[in-house]
Amino acid sequence: MNFPLEIYLIQATHGIVYGMLLFLVASGLTLVFGMMGILNLAHASFYMLGAYLAYTAFRYIGNFWLSLLLSPLIVAMLGIMIERFLLRKTYKVGHTAQLLLTFGLFFVVGELVRMIWGTVPLSVPVPRLLSGEIPFFGNTYPMYRVFILGFAFLLLVGMALLLMRTRIGILIRAAVSDAEMVEALGTNVPLVFMGVFGGGAALAAIAGVIAAPFLSIYLNMGSDALLDCFVVIVVGGFGSLPGALVASLMIGELQSFGVLWIPRLALVFQFLLMAVVLIIKPTGLFGEKE
Amino acid sequence: MSRHRAFQLASGIGVGVFLLLVPFLLPEIKIHLAIETLIYSLFAISFNVLFGYGGMLPFGHAGLFGAGAYATALIVRYYPATPLFLILLATAFFGFLVAFCIGFFCVRLKGPSFSLCSLAFQMFLFAVALKWRTVTSGDDGMGITRPDLHLPFVGEISMRTVPHVYYLTLFVVALGIFCCYLFLKTPLGNSIVCVRERETRASFLGYNVFITKLAAFLVSGILASLAGGLFALFQEFVGTSFIDLSMGMSVVIMAVIGGPAHFLGPVLGAAFYVVLQDWLSSLTGYWMIVMGILFVIIILYLEGGLIGLAQKARMRVWTRWSEKAGQ
Repeated sequence: MNFPLEIYLIQATHGIVYGMLLFLVASGLTLVFGMMGILNLAHASFYMLGAYLAYTAFRYIGNFWLSLLLSPLIVAMLGIMIERFLLRKTYKVGHTAQLLLTFGLFFVVGELVRMIWGTVPLSVPVPRLLSGEIPFFGNTYPMYRVFILGFAFLLLVGMALLLMRTRIGILIRAAVSDAEMVEALGTNVPLVFMGVFGGGAALAAIAGVIAAPFLSIYLNMGSDALLDCFVVIVVGGFGSLPGALVASLMIGELQSFGVLWIPRLALVFQFLLMAVVLIIKPTGLFGEKE
Repeated sequence: MSRHRAFQLASGIGVGVFLLLVPFLLPEIKIHLAIETLIYSLFAISFNVLFGYGGMLPFGHAGLFGAGAYATALIVRYYPATPLFLILLATAFFGFLVAFCIGFFCVRLKGPSFSLCSLAFQMFLFAVALKWRTVTSGDDGMGITRPDLHLPFVGEISMRTVPHVYYLTLFVVALGIFCCYLFLKTPLGNSIVCVRERETRASFLGYNVFITKLAAFLVSGILASLAGGLFALFQEFVGTSFIDLSMGMSVVIMAVIGGPAHFLGPVLGAAFYVVLQDWLSSLTGYWMIVMGILFVIIILYLEGGLIGLAQKARMRVWTRWSEKAGQ
């Protein structure tokens, strides 16, 4: 198990990159859960759809940047429609119906993707602008991953500014802590929620698009992301955004070092982490309410 | 009430006679469907012990089904001389052990956490089945030969003919469902419903919530693995499709379509599922989408499932009759 220091550094950076991607997907899920108590399993299929749509957009337009714009827009529209026309009917019925519905949607989207795009893994080439490598502690590091890191960080800062510095952000945070009270004070909470749902879907799709060139596009990416996000939410604490960030980075590092040290058992580590957190602090690292 | 009871008894006897006569009434290809229905019925009932009775929604129930299937296949492969019922007994015991390991962690969780934790365990077992090639043969799956049945006083019964397989499956499934029914009638079985309804109050009344839920999980696990074992014997094959996401999804679909509020709802759902699947898959290769969309529609518009629909229709007929009698 003796690797030179650079390997550790590179592996750690890989972990951060994957963690940031994971956070992009998990953040929407966390916000939606915090506001309405809905664990939207279909969220992972937004990530998958984002990647597949980016592939199609790239095939027809040939421009990565345009597909980075188009695919999240389409997915956000889809997310808003799902919220408005399907999910909204279940609010009165209860959480079990929501779980069943979103699981059903996750499944239907997966099957639709199988029907439209087939079972063969697809790939999107890295855009020419970012295909180079940059020097990194005597080694080289792919430019594209640096881009992912920077882009995800920008989105993170943007999201933080939106949530902390704007009026909409105040409304969202208020609705997370007590939706009923915010509604009673005269805010159209269902509208805010629809926006958050669409925004979360768009973030997941963005993650899907930028993941496409380096993770490739495959059928199980939805269920893989679903499980990773679930671990993130449990470890970070249900509904906590900072928790989701910390947990995403932890999972990213765990995966990347797990692959380095014990490749066969890489999958087990995150579940182990989850089990440990559940035993020590069942509400998650940053979680407070049940 | 007595009229209701008599109606139940008559329909029960009718269904029983029909089930016994199936091999004489249907062509061989349809007997295959009947066997599949029986096995899925047991699987869906085991799911419903958790979902309908315990209020826990496991998305990864196929993990236990697959564990049973692999257990049976491995026993048949490495110890071909084992008597058939001993194989099934060992499978049930293995299911018990796996359910204990999974349930011990999952049962503490509530709502979506429980659902996804069970899914996580299923994905883990799926990964084991896929990656541990030396034991499970990974993607290729394992072909096995169905062993014959030795009965005392009767002698050897060949399992090469489909009707014999049908009767064996019918016997095991009926026994499993009957035992499950009896279990749910015991005080422990009733306390499962009690814990579902109001967990805090149940714990103040002195029920051990953890043990009660774990018991439900164990019973469910035993039945699910038994169903998996039967399915492996019936197909003479076991592969990763026994344990994947679609299998976990299909049992959810069966229970929800049939109606989780009634003990026999999932059986109806399983029959509906198998028949619909048979018909749809002759039309299109993407029948799972139709199934999924139907599932979504049922959740949105038909909460009680098919059996709820039937009950509503019966209520309407009863009230009309009683109104006429009153006039």
